[in-house]
Amino acid sequence: MSAWARTKQWNTFTRIWHLFDATWQNPIDCAETIGLYLKGMYKPIYHPMSDCGDHVVVINTKKIAFPGQDWRWRAYYHHTGYAKGASYTRAWELHDKDPTLIFKKAVYSKLGNNLQRRYTMQRLHLFADEKVPEDIMKNITNQIRPIKIVPRTLDTYSQEEIKSFPKIFDYPKDYIIR
Amino acid sequence: MLLIVLPNLQEEVVALYSCSRKKYREYHRFFSPLLKQLKRRQIIAPPPINHRNTYLEWNYEAELYSFGKRLGEEFDNELLRQALMQRSYLKKLEEEQKRVGIEVSSNENVDNVCMIPKGEEILQNFTLLYLRHILPRFPEEGIQSIKDHLMSEETLSHVCFHIGASELILCEDFPVEKSTLNSTMKALIFALHESSGLERTSVFIRDFILTQIAELDINDLWNIENPIETLNTICRNEDVDLPEPRIVGDSGVNTILALYRVGLYINKKLIGLGSGESIKIAHEMAASDALRRLFGTAEHQLNIPFNLVLNPKIKSEPNLGVKDWCEKRVQERIKQTLSLNE
Amino acid sequence: MVFQTIVNYTYNKGPDQFWKTRRILKLSSHFYGRRRNCYRNAIRGVWRSLRHCTLGRQDKKRDMKELQDLRIHAGSMEHGLPRGIFKESIERCLILLNRKILADLAVWEPRTFKALTDVAKAKALEDKLEYDGMKSEDVSHFIHRGLLKKK
Repeated sequence: MSAWARTKQWNTFTRIWHLFDATWQNPIDCAETIGLYLKGMYKPIYHPMSDCGDHVVVINTKKIAFPGQDWRWRAYYHHTGYAKGASYTRAWELHDKDPTLIFKKAVYSKLGNNLQRRYTMQRLHLFADEKVPEDIMKNITNQIRPIKIVPRTLDTYSQEEIKSFPKIFDYPKDYIIR
Repeated sequence: MLLIVLPNLQEEVVALYSCSRKKYREYHRFFSPLLKQLKRRQIIAPPPINHRNTYLEWNYEAELYSFGKRLGEEFDNELLRQALMQRSYLKKLEEEQKRVGIEVSSNENVDNVCMIPKGEEILQNFTLLYLRHILPRFPEEGIQSIKDHLMSEETLSHVCFHIGASELILCEDFPVEKSTLNSTMKALIFALHESSGLERTSVFIRDFILTQIAELDINDLWNIENPIETLNTICRNEDVDLPEPRIVGDSGVNTILALYRVGLYINKKLIGLGSGESIKIAHEMAASDALRRLFGTAEHQLNIPFNLVLNPKIKSEPNLGVKDWCEKRVQERIKQTLSLNE
Repeated sequence: MVFQTIVNYTYNKGPDQFWKTRRILKLSSHFYGRRRNCYRNAIRGVWRSLRHCTLGRQDKKRDMKELQDLRIHAGSMEHGLPRGIFKESIERCLILLNRKILADLAVWEPRTFKALTDVAKAKALEDKLEYDGMKSEDVSHFIHRGLLKKK
């Protein structure tokens, strides 16, 4: 194999490092997209037998969002293996214990049950906040688009912006705002 | 014992018995032990490989005639016979004649020894002519290395074997050795030249020998030792600034699977792009990519035609060497060759 | 009954079983353990493998279809066009390339494939086949027959 052919192969099958910001994102929806990147299914050269998956660095997993009552009703099941060993943990409880675990479990379940799953998971790097080690940050060359547009919260608006916001009606003068 | 002496008998026994299956529906009980025994004997004493001329219906005259017809060429019978006659065969013949007591007649001009260098010259001239015509921008060093590949023992013996000459060659070694096939191929080319003329021979060379580079990457045949330095030399010849390397992209820099992509720019214009596991390798690859683009052998440029009919009588001028390669001179040379061919 | 000669005492064992065994053991030659060489075990394994083989012929077609669809989707999404819109559009342009050829183009001929997506984008814009990230600037360089008629 000539050097030219070797570098061509190296270029085609290189592992790309992606960054994903999980702020205000639903982990269940994100897991599907991130799974595609981890397995390399977004590349036309994909084949289940070829090793063409990428790395994904997910930041801000602490700031994920669930729709409706999911924080309360979504339960994570674990069994110790002994009798009466089953336990159910609510999503909010789990998130308190480890802010990356919900995201990890979501991706893990979306990857599908096969022998490659554990090795594919090793290419997922989760961080609860924006603090990513320097050596990992240097590898990153691409950013995955967020699934959902991040809404602006009220406290990010300045007083001027709030004042200039178009009003629909005025409160009556004797109306007391508590 | 009979079965060892006549290896073909085994096949006949099996074939006969297989035919009789239609009659008996099943194999007899004796058949599988028989086959086992045959197999065992074959392992102990494998049947010798015989030359085709030991077969009863071998007709050398007819084979010689059909050899030319198969290739679609007109060979002079005597010349073809001479081209296929190796010195070693004659020596063996002489010895045998001496042993029997027959007076040995001098047969110096019967073998192909004198034909080989002449055939080689024809082959070399036309190969160079054709290569220089289809790759006018490629440096002479590269042309020479492609020619060396085409005229190597490996290639010529491969071609000679597959046009079916190996059984026709009269030589001492059996199975026929590569060196014998190699020299015979050259002799055959000379024989064709004498019988059908130079134009016909050049078409033969084009069709059977030059086509051997069709599935190869010709850049692999010529290894440029230091592509960066070579590119710089060419830029100096062109009177332009030296190419400026820039990192175009990278990924996984801190891992062992790091990838760098380097682009080479002249006056903010991309001339070559390369990738590799380190910046140095990527830079080298970018330089060799730029060279390929200049020489017209990059993947998108290379489409070698194998159907050109060139005048073989023209003496081809060598292409430009790497050291004095520049766009102006290449254009001049292409114009010259075009006018020559007209 | 009284037999006069010894020859008549021999009893015919019938046809040779060796060949039937060979036929089965040939098919089990790649198995592991006693399934490979013991006929009694091998025959069961062979039955099973032959059944898998029959079903596998259908599965293979399905798997190839899935893989080719995925590759086409990946190839067209590189240019921001979902597979459904892409295939619908090129079909409307009467570019009748099948799934296999499209997948091969996506892998081996990315430039050709990009040209196809350009055609598809222009057609999608003209026929108002809407998708996420649809832009008219993407195909501004592309001149098609419908555009010529309008002018």
